[in-house]
Amino acid sequence: MESLKVYILIANRTYNDGIRSALGLAVENHYGYPVIMNGEFPKLSEYMAENIAWIADMEGEVLSCGAEAPTDLPEDVEMTNIDLEALGERMRDADFIIPYGLPKQTNEPPPACAE
Amino acid sequence: MKILQVYRSEPNDDVKTLVGILNRDRDADEFKLYGENPDYDQLVEKIFDADKTVCWW
Amino acid sequence: MAADPNKLGIFVTSPQNMTHVVGIAEAADKAGKKPMIFFTYKSIHLTKDPRFKDLADLCGEDNLAICADSYTCEGYDSVKDIPAGLTEKQMRTQAFHGALLDECGKYIVL
Repeated sequence: MESLKVYILIANRTYNDGIRSALGLAVENHYGYPVIMNGEFPKLSEYMAENIAWIADMEGEVLSCGAEAPTDLPEDVEMTNIDLEALGERMRDADFIIPYGLPKQTNEPPPACAE
Repeated sequence: MKILQVYRSEPNDDVKTLVGILNRDRDADEFKLYGENPDYDQLVEKIFDADKTVCWW
Repeated sequence: MAADPNKLGIFVTSPQNMTHVVGIAEAADKAGKKPMIFFTYKSIHLTKDPRFKDLADLCGEDNLAICADSYTCEGYDSVKDIPAGLTEKQMRTQAFHGALLDECGKYIVL
């Protein structure tokens, strides 16, 4: 089976599931590239840190577009900063581009769901 | 390559930038899903006519 | 297995697009194409939409599934509350999305 290059664009702050979905494709021998496009990085759970590390192990990559990724990430967790133009150029080579979930919110989340 | 850009809402500046790069030197088409009563038959026809479809938020 | 040129994969991740999902699936069916749909993330709430069962019937057991983990994460019971029109077999994992990418000649995200 051909390995496909799949970009998962995550604009909403609730980015975790887009990363989980990319990992799901990685374990099916595809290349998963989740792109966090919102500049918001809610507290990274141990589960999510493992998912990000695993995507890298499977030759995928987690990208941050439009904002610098946090520098205090746990060991083995890497995110690559990329600007919008460079992302567009990379995605010309994509087999699939998936704008994931909901669009970016304009309002701030309340404390009940901010983390 | 024929690429189809589908919009579920009015595209923002980031989407417009990405679409501009993706469409460069390609046979590009578009479809707006956010108007009233989108013609789904026409959309399906366009999807099957294109090599690749991107459906934006 | 080569992708089927007459099969349309629909990957649903937003809970806001049921009208589009139904509209596109029905239009594909009318055009003699076969829709294959996977609901994941917040879109699993669409399983409670009154149009969902007809959509499941249109696609058939092998060509529509939902992510059981997403369903559970959103608070539903993926054992006792299988959505109308689905069987246990259609409560799947992200692997179904991988299969959809492999099997479908055309693809759209909603």
